[in-house]
Formats: sequence, C-alpha cells, structure tokens
Amino acid sequence: MKKIYNIHTILILLILLTISTYMFGHFNSSGLLVVLFLIISAFIKGLLIMREFMELRGVSLLWRVIMYGWLTTVCSTIVIAYTIGGN
Amino acid sequence: MKNETRLLPGDFAIWIFIFAELLVFGIFFISYAVVRVQNIDMFNHYQLSLNRETGAINTILLITSSYFVVRAVRAIKLNQIKQCYHFIYAALICGGLFLVLKTYEFQDKFSAGISLDTNTFYMFYLSLTIFHYMHVILGMIILLAIAIKAQRGKYSSQDYIGVETGGAYWHMVDLVWIILFPLIYIIR
Repeated sequence: MKKIYNIHTILILLILLTISTYMFGHFNSSGLLVVLFLIISAFIKGLLIMREFMELRGVSLLWRVIMYGWLTTVCSTIVIAYTIGGN
Repeated sequence: MKNETRLLPGDFAIWIFIFAELLVFGIFFISYAVVRVQNIDMFNHYQLSLNRETGAINTILLITSSYFVVRAVRAIKLNQIKQCYHFIYAALICGGLFLVLKTYEFQDKFSAGISLDTNTFYMFYLSLTIFHYMHVILGMIILLAIAIKAQRGKYSSQDYIGVETGGAYWHMVDLVWIILFPLIYIIR
C-alpha cells in the first residue's frame, strides 16, 4: 500500500480529478449531485495538497485544525449556497 | 516515535502569512457563492464565456509545478543540490506557462470590452483571477530567488529552511487555484 501511495501517484490522482472536473464543465453538467461531486473532488485535492505537498501530516493539531478547517468551511459554505440557490 | 508531532516545514512566519492569504481568498470564494444565489441566471450565462480548457490546463500546470517543488525539497534534504534547483526551474517553467495562458485569457476578455464594471460575475471573475495571478508572480519571484541561491550552494541537507518556506507559499498558490477553478469556471 505504501508503495502505491506516494508523491507520484498523488500527482496522477490530482490530474485525474482535474480532468474529471473539466469533463463536467465540458458537458455543462449541473444539479446538486454534480455540485457535490465537484466540491468533494476539490476538497480531496485540497486535502492532498495540504497533507502531502505542504507536509501538514503529523504537525501540531492546532495547525491541522486551522488549515483543514479553512478548507472545510469554504467547501461546505459553497455547497450550502448552491443548495439554497439551486442551479 | 511514529506519532511524534512534527514542526511546520519552513519558517513559521510564512504560515501566518499563508493563513492570512487563505482567509482573504476564503472570504472572496464565500462572497462569490452567496452573491450568486441572487444572480443565478446571470452567473450561469456569463460563466459559459470562460475558457474552461485553459482553466483545466492551468490547474494541471500548477499541480505539476507543486509536485516539482516537493521533489526539490526532498532533493535538498538529501543534499542533491543540482536536482533541487533543477526541480525549482521546472516548477518555474510550469508557473511561466500558467501566466502565459492566463495573460491570453485576460487579453481575450479585455479586448472584448469586459472589465470589472461589466457585471457582478465579471467583477468576481476578474478580481479573483487577477489577485491570484499576482500571487503566482510573487511565488515565482520567491522560487527564482531560491533556485539562484541553491545554484550558488547556499542550501544543503543541513540548511534547507528557505526551500521549504518558498515551497509552502507556492503550494498555497496552488491550493487556492484548486478551489477557484471549479467554483468560477465549472460549477453551475
């Protein structure tokens, strides 16, 4: 497992998630499920960048709460706004 | 030993700066989503005028540049100085291509007479992307300074805090774009 989960496979995963995001745009997809998928995809990408690229894995709890908290707050507020507003 | 708390990579001051930057961008993102609620048709209509292809390519460029920066940090920790600055230059090439595509995109919009005053959607689109564009330029200046310093042998496996500090800032620039791209270009 450790051999598969490394910086190279993380890069591939990030690129694949970006391509899937682009494809939703290419087909002008909309709807709450699409919004959820796109935000969850952005959340996963952000999490991977913070954890693996910014090396937040294992740092003090306070900094992890601050950084992951920012990502969670932004993503969940966007989902709420799009749920209220509809598409 | 395995569960020992690690120190933040790089200079602590950069993390305060990163947090402040993220707060500003976070407010921008949330404002966009909230204001859109009252202007859904307008936002959906004008969003279609954005170039999603360059947006997606730019995302891949920034992700790849971040990957190169990670490789540079790992290289300097192993005292592989030459590899370190080569990876930083590779990251700079990706950043440069990002700026070229973004400049082309701005040129396209400005030549069509679009400005901050055109409508609320373009106000958000231009403010956010130009603000981010300026961060990319600043990040590239920082990376260039680090690459030159590394090339002069100023960093080693004993002294690499500068490389980590610049890297952390560059990852923040990438992180912001990761949210900005789907929010402004794709989600409708």
